[in-house]
Amino acid sequence: MSNILTMNNIQKSFGELEVIKDISVSIKKGDVLSIIGPSGGGKSTLLRCAAMLETINGGSILYGDKKAAWTEDNGKVVYAKGKDMKEIKNYFGLVFQNFNLFPHFSVLKNITDAPLRMQKRNKDEVMSEAEVLLDKMGLKEKAGAYPYQLSGGQQQRVAIARALALKPQILFFDEPTSALDPELTAEVLRVIRQLAEENMTMAIVTHEMNFARLVSDHLIFIDGGVIVEQGSPDAVLGNPQMERTKAFLNKLEQ
Amino acid sequence: MELQTMVTMLAEGFLKSVAIFSLTLLGSLPLGLLVAFGRMSKFKPLQWIVKFYISVMRGTPLMLQLMVVFFGPHYLLGIQTGSNYRFVAVIIGFVLNYAAYFAEIYRGGIESMSVGQYEAAEIMGYSKAHTFVRIILPQVIKRILPSITNEMITLVKDTSLAFAISYAEMFTLAKKIASSQSTLMPFVIAGVFYFIFNYVVAFIMERVEKKMSYYR
Ligand SMILES: Nc1ncnc2c1ncn2[C@@H]1O[C@H](COP(=O)(O)OP(=O)(O)OP(=O)(O)O)[C@@H](O)[C@H]1O
Ligand SMILES: [Mg+2]
Repeated sequence: MSNILTMNNIQKSFGELEVIKDISVSIKKGDVLSIIGPSGGGKSTLLRCAAMLETINGGSILYGDKKAAWTEDNGKVVYAKGKDMKEIKNYFGLVFQNFNLFPHFSVLKNITDAPLRMQKRNKDEVMSEAEVLLDKMGLKEKAGAYPYQLSGGQQQRVAIARALALKPQILFFDEPTSALDPELTAEVLRVIRQLAEENMTMAIVTHEMNFARLVSDHLIFIDGGVIVEQGSPDAVLGNPQMERTKAFLNKLEQ
Repeated sequence: MELQTMVTMLAEGFLKSVAIFSLTLLGSLPLGLLVAFGRMSKFKPLQWIVKFYISVMRGTPLMLQLMVVFFGPHYLLGIQTGSNYRFVAVIIGFVLNYAAYFAEIYRGGIESMSVGQYEAAEIMGYSKAHTFVRIILPQVIKRILPSITNEMITLVKDTSLAFAISYAEMFTLAKKIASSQSTLMPFVIAGVFYFIFNYVVAFIMERVEKKMSYYR
């Protein structure tokens, strides 16, 4: 099947600090990619490059067959502009570690505002879809609540619903549960698992190895700005080949 | 002079003080936001100019600024100003001065917003303008409301500085009556007026703050 996202030879530096050295990764439609690795390895940065929150210094990014960013012969990185870029930005959604809900909007408005205002979609349609999403997230009674009135787990589920309401082709998660207590983590992971079963294409940065094993089709271990090891989650987590992967996984088990 | 006459005269001046207050807010609240944008601009020369403007407005007495605005056109540029220029000068002076203070308040509020709000909006396809108007500004206003209230209360009292160019607001009149009648009474009455004015301002602003307390 076709790739939703293709990233080739991505490089990203912050000043002198080379954070992503040369990473190529692609995600097929319906697949779930898990990204694991030690702190500071560049996981978030990679995801943020894919989501256009950071500009790459080299390589190329494709959504479907649309070029989002590419490197020209002279080494200069060029990004798509105008309408093309707008179209590309409709491809993906991102769920943040700390939710980033809009505190002055009710739960329902958090979910419906962008589809109504920015996508200019039909109101009845957006409203009924929002209802379905809230139901799915187990938040039916919370439509009128404000973010501060919700638990972290509930807030994160609203954030997921908000991202889904824009109908992205692929959803990125950057450590969606690391700001949550264990009980709250479980409810968020359950929702993401359900999405995986519905064949939502996703890329998830996570420290939850059991979850990664359950949910993902492909797993990459990133350290020092490169992919150290990749493969099926069972292979990488169950039978790692590289010393760095082994060391990382051993440390987690302690 | 009878007390009633005094009160009536001062009440007229009071209306003028209220006019200064209202027009100053009407002009300086939006202008302050523009100045804040200039202050935060990535275009350095603009940033420097605005920074200089703010430091002059905050670093020199408002009374002096009023005199410059009022006498400046005539003495510096040789322009003959009309009879109603006195009031115009008061409003220009106050608006320019308060815009500088409001700009710094806006800037503090805008800079206190987390990047996460901008990034979430960007990911969701909000345009720059929508992000500012719908996501950032409402939250900024809530955060800066106490500081705005403070400035408004100061402004009520500052309206008396219009006496520097003899504009006939309440304090100017009070001073005039007091010296001609050799009594402190007008000052007492004016004081009561200012106090009530500020009481109302504080009351309204408290209401507004309450109205915005539906979220955190
Ligand atoms: N905006 C930035 N400016 C400068 N350096 C940055 C910036 N963002 C990230 N870095 C640096 O890039 C490196 C990789 O950061 P990144 O957040 O991608 O790591 P991570 O793998 O997501 O780690 P964690 O598991 O802690 O989230 C770190 O050394 C970090 O300090
Ligand atoms: Mg990270």
